Amino acid sequence: MSRRPPLVAAPKAGRTLAVVLGLAAALSMGSVAWTENLTPPEAVAVTVETAATQAASLEAAPLVTPPQDPWRGFNRASYGLNRGLDRLVVGPVARVYRAVMPGPVQRGLGRVLDNLREPSTLINAGLQGHPKRAAKAGARFVINSTVGVLGLFDVAGRAGLDREPADFGQTLGRYGVGPGPYLFVPLLGPSNVRDGLGRVVDALTDPVSLVAGGLDSDFGLGRAGAVALDSRAQAEPALQALEAQATDPYVTLQSAYLQARAAVVAQATGVTEDLPDFNIPNEGVVLLTPPDRNLATVEPIY
Amino acid sequence: MSRNLPQSQNRRDLLVRLGLAVGLAGLGTQAWGQAGAQRGDPQAEQFVAIEAQKVLTLLADRNVTAARKSAVFASLVDEIADVPKISNFVLGKYARTITPPQRAAFTSVFRTYLQSVYQSRITQFQGDTLKVSGSTVRVPGDVVVSSVVTGRRDTVPVAWRVLGGGSAWKLVDVQISGVWLAITQRQDFVATIDNAGGNIDVLIAQLQRNARSGG
Repeated sequence: MSRRPPLVAAPKAGRTLAVVLGLAAALSMGSVAWTENLTPPEAVAVTVETAATQAASLEAAPLVTPPQDPWRGFNRASYGLNRGLDRLVVGPVARVYRAVMPGPVQRGLGRVLDNLREPSTLINAGLQGHPKRAAKAGARFVINSTVGVLGLFDVAGRAGLDREPADFGQTLGRYGVGPGPYLFVPLLGPSNVRDGLGRVVDALTDPVSLVAGGLDSDFGLGRAGAVALDSRAQAEPALQALEAQATDPYVTLQSAYLQARAAVVAQATGVTEDLPDFNIPNEGVVLLTPPDRNLATVEPIY
Repeated sequence: MSRNLPQSQNRRDLLVRLGLAVGLAGLGTQAWGQAGAQRGDPQAEQFVAIEAQKVLTLLADRNVTAARKSAVFASLVDEIADVPKISNFVLGKYARTITPPQRAAFTSVFRTYLQSVYQSRITQFQGDTLKVSGSTVRVPGDVVVSSVVTGRRDTVPVAWRVLGGGSAWKLVDVQISGVWLAITQRQDFVATIDNAGGNIDVLIAQLQRNARSGG
């Protein structure tokens, strides 16, 4: 079996660390959802309506539907396992990294990793029918990889080309694929059927991995490890808040993940938002289902 | 030496072209943004621009002690947010069945909880500059104001849902990176009460424990 020559040679000892950190990446995916950055929204959010407000919002479409969690038992058990592993292994590593590494270095590493995702964003933005976003991702990659010293500095961002990440789960959502049941897989974190599939496709089609090497190369392993470390370290404050503040952390993480993904999909569709009413007691929830906008009464989500 | 000259010229050309490309792309992006911008409610936007900036400035100020910061933040939340309305909202279906003594206990502990959650979530993205990008009027008096907060690593989209009218507005929810805080709290709280067989006292006790442990 031939192996692609690595662009970046990792030390042998670093390979083991990279595998451990790769595991950490998977573990931290849940928390990434909590802190995942969106692009400044044209319109984001949630469509949950009471009957009293439905007439006023017939133009809106649902972005967050009642969580489909038919595998709740399995998901809760997986979440518990993940939480234990995070407490024992991943959390301590992330905290040491945050304590030891200077802030500018952490942010620089994060920008380098973000930059490596731009080609994948270019593809997905193109697939979504957003040529300007695709062009922007391409321009960002070229500028930041050169003038920005391999992405260490976000020169393109300073020039007004802000980062607008796109992924295949979002692309599927753009074309009407629903999220499907919620799924929390040990070591992979929260997802749903659509976005889980999206992650697989993104991993298989990532241009940087195809050119420089995926997990079968030192570069790929090193990158996975760095992504793991960066993601988990970034998520540390949010995870601490989740543990300290949520009365049911499983539900809170699920809610945050599904809302964040709905907002990501909303970026691609440009759907306007509608929200639960603050003035009317929650008698029930009526969702408007695009494109035919058939009314379907469902169980209250709260 | 003579062979280096063309190379440096090429580099200069490349940089000039890159600069032009960036400039053109930036102008294009700006024009695109302006074309897509829809004016919602300027007064609601002004409320957010002023009050939210106050919050960010306070939380980003390294010269203020943590205790002082929390105290000032708490009074800012009371001033800016409609805490009673949020308290009712986050109870979801249980807002209709809660007894008056339970409501009194819940409102008290929830106020502390809300201040803590807002402070920690807004502090997390380490932003100090807010730029309002527009607003959407859901119904008159119910407006979602979009903004971008510049953080240390990235810009973070933050939406502020405000209720009111004229120059009198109150904040009821904040959406950070796609996640609405009050909606998330409502799902959290209702699940906790559901799991306790509908006993609201269990939620109140949990929030009191969280408050004692600093959560």
